[in-house]
Amino acid sequence: MNKSSSASALRRLMTEYKQLTEGGSPDDMFTAGPISESDFFTWEALISGPKDTPFEGGIFVAKLTFPSDYPLSPFKMKFEPPILHPNVYADGNVCISILHTPGDDPTHYEAASERWSPVQSVEKVILSVISMLAEPNLESGANIDCCKLYRDNKPEYERRVRAMVREQLGL
Amino acid sequence: MDYSDDDDYNYDSDEIMDGTQDDASSVSEMDEDEDFHIQPTKDKKKSYEIDFDCLEQTAIQDIIRADSEQIISIFNVDASTASLLLRHMGWNKERLIEKYMDNPAQVLEAAGIPSQQPAGPSQPAPIRSNPSTRQATSTVIRRSTRRSTADSKAPVAPLTPVGCLICCDENPASMTSLMCGHNFCSECWAEYLKGKIRDEGECSIKCMAEDCSVLVPDAFIKETCDAAVYSRFEELVLRHFVAHTKNLKYCPAPSCVYTVSCTSAPPSSLTTVVPTVVCKKGHAFCFGCPIEGDHRPLICAVAKLWLQKCHDDSETANWIKSNTKECTKCQSTIEKNGGCNHMTCRKCKHEFCWVCMGPWSEHGTAWYNCNRFDEKSSSEARDTQSKSRISLERYLHYYNRWANHEQSAKLSVELYAKTEKKMEEMQITSSLTWIEVQFARKAVEEVERCRTTLKWTYAMAYYLDRSNAKELFEDNQRDLEKAVEDLSELLETPIDPENIPMLRQKMTDKTVYVQKRNEIMLEDTANGYLEGRWSWNTPVEGIERDEEPASSSA
Repeated sequence: MNKSSSASALRRLMTEYKQLTEGGSPDDMFTAGPISESDFFTWEALISGPKDTPFEGGIFVAKLTFPSDYPLSPFKMKFEPPILHPNVYADGNVCISILHTPGDDPTHYEAASERWSPVQSVEKVILSVISMLAEPNLESGANIDCCKLYRDNKPEYERRVRAMVREQLGL
Repeated sequence: MDYSDDDDYNYDSDEIMDGTQDDASSVSEMDEDEDFHIQPTKDKKKSYEIDFDCLEQTAIQDIIRADSEQIISIFNVDASTASLLLRHMGWNKERLIEKYMDNPAQVLEAAGIPSQQPAGPSQPAPIRSNPSTRQATSTVIRRSTRRSTADSKAPVAPLTPVGCLICCDENPASMTSLMCGHNFCSECWAEYLKGKIRDEGECSIKCMAEDCSVLVPDAFIKETCDAAVYSRFEELVLRHFVAHTKNLKYCPAPSCVYTVSCTSAPPSSLTTVVPTVVCKKGHAFCFGCPIEGDHRPLICAVAKLWLQKCHDDSETANWIKSNTKECTKCQSTIEKNGGCNHMTCRKCKHEFCWVCMGPWSEHGTAWYNCNRFDEKSSSEARDTQSKSRISLERYLHYYNRWANHEQSAKLSVELYAKTEKKMEEMQITSSLTWIEVQFARKAVEEVERCRTTLKWTYAMAYYLDRSNAKELFEDNQRDLEKAVEDLSELLETPIDPENIPMLRQKMTDKTVYVQKRNEIMLEDTANGYLEGRWSWNTPVEGIERDEEPASSSA
């Protein structure tokens, strides 16, 4: 990738970071920022589990990795440690339409309008992920076992999610 | 001597070899007409050939230009709009004109063109009425799918109000927007368009703004992108046009730029015609279906059936049927891998005899030994099994031959290389020139072509009903196969400097004979389609079954 595009990516990331720190997130649902001053292309986000879901009370850590041609290409989001959710791969990578470019559609379920476009932002994506935590999309599952569990035995799914939340909090 | 004379099929190779023409005359004939036994003569159309034209890219561009000029003059729009409208309607001019006359605003909006008069770039404010209503409706849709996103949107400050929203440059060199008025800096536009055109191969590109469905007009792309990207874009438009025009097809060979135009093979004719076309570079492909290469003499629908049969695992099921038996009570599939004939189904605990498939209880005291014959219950069970075994054997008979010819055709690259070497050798050891040793290359080409035909005749034979017509077909097939194998063998024979003139004569004659047999095969099958001589043993798309059995020729 050429220099000018990574320079504009850096400028864009700094602006987004500034806005996030100034404005804060709605209802303090998440915080996000670069892990270190020296690398603006790797961020960490702390997301609190949405209310009235089994994820409530949990704090989830996700790593955001930005490509050098950001925002033309979307960033990648990975929960570390991985969380149990139908749309999160077992390794923690998040599968959500807003982070897919219109060209690649691994599951062939998504309308182009739901995909990544350069006017999306970290904030919009994370808010989408939070709403995804509350309402999994079973049509394009990433973790098939979890999809089956969610569909066939929701109480058990919720129990396991709560157990995972407690475990990640070290309770 | 006229090699392409159709009327005399019945001579065989010996007759040709006995032909009285001397060496010199046949050489001169070859030199005059390089392609004499490659291309069937053009003036006489064979019944298995169809009319087609091979077009260069510029010719297609001319057609596109003529179409858009017509639209421009009728609708009084600019070139970009005409192009977007045509692409939106899949290049169907008549439908576009009809719809547009009916309700221009609706067509324009659906095609991603704001209906206002074109305004210069960087004048966003006044031209938003239409897009903004659309945005309002699409926001409602967003709200329902991602509720928390939309709800939480309000309190957050928007990204920088001035400057480019994409790269956050506050003082970009220049800002541009489409008619929807979404302003971004030119650099971001250029990067975005480049990505769409180069990486994603799209020619209908939406505005970068979220939920904006305005399409980027051609003129904007030309202005914003560099020449290489724009020419790629023009190519994409061209491909879009070809893909949406029924009588055009792009040559599927890698990096081939020709387009074939064919009007004599409408979909309804595909049950009687195999529309094989050849582009100017010599790539043969079927105009009627996406199968790669020439699949004459088998019609598209049946060829597709055959490929499907070979590819999907229906044959796995066939294997299971032939090598296993089903529990007569619960129909579980059982493979016997040892032990005695007294079977107990693990699933339903039914006890039966593996040999006669009858219930074990009927065996009385004859333990471990089935000498009972013809119990009705057991013979029925056996019947279904032997039937599927026969059908598997039949399939394998045809498949093995099909696969064999396919394999040989694949190896033809090696054969070419080998023959090339031989040709060099011949040049050295004899007085023949490079042009004069081309007969070997032509033989290889003919063998390859005929193997393709042969390959598909086996698929065809698999689906043909038993009849006299099929027997004649198989006779032709056998003759062709024999001739091809003879020629193949000649190609493999080591070169003896003494015998080169003989070999050359033989090979040339054989090549002509093989070509003749191939033509007969193709001609006969093509005529058969037209006469309705072939009847299939399986339902074929587009062909009514249960007609009276078509029997012709003894």
